[in-house]
Amino acid sequence: MKTNDVILQTTTKIVLFIILIFSVFIFFTGHYTPGGGFIGGLLTSGAIVLLLLAFDLKTVKKILPFNYMYMIAAGLLFSIGTGAGAMLFNVPFLTHAYTHIDIPILGELSLHTATIFDLGVFLVVVGVTMTIIQTIGGDE
Amino acid sequence: MAFQILLNVFLGFMWMVMTVSFEPAVFLKGYLLGLLIIYIFRNLFTSRFYLLRIVAVLKLTYIFIRELISSNIAVVKTVLKPKLDMQPGIFAYPTILEKNWEITLLANLITLTPGTLVIEVSSDNKILYVHALDINDAQESIDSIKDTFEKAILEVGR
Repeated sequence: MKTNDVILQTTTKIVLFIILIFSVFIFFTGHYTPGGGFIGGLLTSGAIVLLLLAFDLKTVKKILPFNYMYMIAAGLLFSIGTGAGAMLFNVPFLTHAYTHIDIPILGELSLHTATIFDLGVFLVVVGVTMTIIQTIGGDE
Repeated sequence: MAFQILLNVFLGFMWMVMTVSFEPAVFLKGYLLGLLIIYIFRNLFTSRFYLLRIVAVLKLTYIFIRELISSNIAVVKTVLKPKLDMQPGIFAYPTILEKNWEITLLANLITLTPGTLVIEVSSDNKILYVHALDINDAQESIDSIKDTFEKAILEVGR
C-alpha cells in the first residue's frame, strides 16, 4: 500500500529551508566562531538527505539536477585555485589575503580569500556525502 | 508565489535572529542568501521561481508606459490632421486569456491606450469587442495587442 506523505512533504518544504539558511550561517561564521566549510557542507547535505527521505531519488534528481562528481571537482579547483593564486603575487603557496570594502546598503564587509578555500571544502563535503548516499540508495 | 515570498522573508528574519543583530542591512543579507537558496531549490515548488514573475510585472509596466506614449502621439496626429479621413469601427478580438483578472487587466490596458476602446466582453469570456479609431488597420491592431499586452500578461499569470 502506498502511504500518503503529504504531512512529511509539506513540513520538509519549510524545515529544509531553515536548515539550509542555518548551514549558510554556520559556513559564514566559521572565521570568528565555531563553524566553517566542513560542518556547513554536512548540514547542507543533511538537508538534501531530508529531501531524499520525504521524496524519492528520482524527484530529488529532478529538483537538483547536479552531478555531484562535478561538484567535488569544482570544490577541489576552488581550493587549489586560492592556494595557487597566492603564487601569482610572489608569496608562498596558500598565503591568504584579506581586505575591507564598503558596499552602500550592506555596510562594511571584510573579505578574506580563506572563504573561497572554505567554499571549496563546502562543495567537496556536499559532493562526497551526496555521492555516497545516492550510490548506496540507488538500485540501478 | 506568495508562499515563496513569505518563506524568503522568514529566512531573512531567521538570519537576523541567528546573527543577533537587528539592522535592515542584516535582514537584506539574509533575504538575499535565502533568495539564492530558494533559487537553487526552485524545482521543489509547484509554481515557478517568484522573481521571474516580478520581472514580468515590471516588463508589463514598461510596455504599458511605452504604448501609452506612442499611441498618444498617434492620436495627436489624428486630431491635428486637416482631413477627417479615418473610419471608426468595432472589431472582435479573440483572447486566449482565461482568468478573470487577466481579462480585466487586458481590457483596461486596451482602453487606456488611445485609439482603441473595449466596449463589451462576450459572455463566455472568449471575445473582447473593441472600438477602434481607424478600422482599416484592425488586423494590425489585433496583432499588436497580441504581441505586446497579451503576451506580457500571459507571462505574469503563468
